[in-house]
Amino acid sequence: MKSLMRFLLALAVMLAGLVSAEAETTPEKISRTGVLTIGTRTGSPPFAFINKQNEWVGFSIDLVEQAIVPLVAHKLGKPIKVEKKESTPQTRIPLLTSNAVDLIAGTMTDTRSRRESVDFSLTFFATGAQFLVKKGIRIKEIQDIAGKRVAAQQGSTNARIIRERVPKAVLREFPDQPTAFQALAQGQVDVYTNDGIQLAGLKAKAPNPAQWQIVGDFYSYEPYGMAMRKNESDFRHLVNVGLMEAIESGKYFELYDKWFGPKGEVPYPLTPENRRFLQMQVVPK
Amino acid sequence: MNYDFDWRVLWTGQSGQWLLHGLLTTLELSALAWLLAAALGILSGALRTVTFKPAALLAAFYVEFFRNVPLLVWMFFWYFGVPPLLPRAFQDWLFAHGIEFLAGTLSLGVYHGARFSEVIRSGIQSIPKTQFEAALSTGLTTGQTYRLIIIPIALRLIIPPATNESLNLLKNSSIALTISVAELTFQTRQIEAYTARAFEALTAGTLIYLILCLCIAAIMARVERRVAIPGMIARVSGAEH
Repeated sequence: MKSLMRFLLALAVMLAGLVSAEAETTPEKISRTGVLTIGTRTGSPPFAFINKQNEWVGFSIDLVEQAIVPLVAHKLGKPIKVEKKESTPQTRIPLLTSNAVDLIAGTMTDTRSRRESVDFSLTFFATGAQFLVKKGIRIKEIQDIAGKRVAAQQGSTNARIIRERVPKAVLREFPDQPTAFQALAQGQVDVYTNDGIQLAGLKAKAPNPAQWQIVGDFYSYEPYGMAMRKNESDFRHLVNVGLMEAIESGKYFELYDKWFGPKGEVPYPLTPENRRFLQMQVVPK
Repeated sequence: MNYDFDWRVLWTGQSGQWLLHGLLTTLELSALAWLLAAALGILSGALRTVTFKPAALLAAFYVEFFRNVPLLVWMFFWYFGVPPLLPRAFQDWLFAHGIEFLAGTLSLGVYHGARFSEVIRSGIQSIPKTQFEAALSTGLTTGQTYRLIIIPIALRLIIPPATNESLNLLKNSSIALTISVAELTFQTRQIEAYTARAFEALTAGTLIYLILCLCIAAIMARVERRVAIPGMIARVSGAEH
């Protein structure tokens, strides 16, 4: 047994060594292949989802295609294609570190512990966790869910907060949003918790939106960032400058309006504080 | 890739406790599902070999229906599909008392029962017809022949493929995480969620599955030697001739 474990460990170390031998920065990789591969979501409207026309679209994807790619293409002096791959909360960090994708552009919350494994761009969207319930159920603050069956997404920051702050809640964790919502719709759980904006997206897409309501104060802070491999400051700089220029030129707000405006996929007005927060992340030229 | 492995995440914080809980849930889920699968497998496997046509057809239907639909679909079937068919009060009771685990056990047990059934059938059919005839001619009824002669021999014959199926069942129990059963794979993902250390967590999970499977295989190999009937199943190593 012992020698087997040693063999497996040696194998793992060897594989890790093999991969690191071909050290290539992300811009070099993009320049060589002509492709920027992003890891994103298929079921998180309006950030990234498959629409009725069967196209993979969304706010995060638009930001990459319209704010970041032109800058990278300009920098490398050649046209760049964007390739999209599905990435879930469980797979996104391994996808990055294994070079399968170069950038996570979906709904990933920037956290300190995640920063130990990956690097983040500046925050491109700020939200907080709330609850989705059937109309009529009253929840004001997080403690109100004690004793209730609460669905959350596996690997999300919300599940972690609930486990720590409301141990009396019966937590059920599902791998994706549609499954969790199905459990809520059928009554397996009483409450589904996720970031407020995700719940708004889910509610807008539900067969009968009027049946659902989003309740409770924000019980967490969820700043969304784009993640990339650690210690790639040149690439991170490119991504950040792309986002800053989009905020500065107004392109960002145009896209925001397209997806979150009154006629957008998920109406979610931009608060003055959030607008100010975005603008303050833009450093001078 | 420049990834610095940090194995400490596996024993700092609550990781160890989570892995242990996950391991226990996996064992519990697999053991219960295995019992169900073995019972269903033996019953339907035996029924497929009897001469009474309707029984054989019923067993064949069970096998073909359940083994040819993906396990993931069965998980969703038992978790989402079945409860709405039950009376409201029973439904509420189930939702409050861990329907996740029950649905997971049923999906695994019924699905693997269909697969076990084929293993048992092949075991029974590999026994020469003369055995049946000899047993019947001593005055045993068909039921007694199966219960006392055929199935005990068949079970000995099928230990290697049954071991294979049992290991599959254990590993397939990880699919229960899709319906929120906090088994071993679920817990390795939990560690990943807390520490953002996917490779370490997955390696720990992998090693635990590997060790579990090797233990089961070793136990089954020992059982195979212990229960061998000397002179009957000559190919078993160590059996006397």
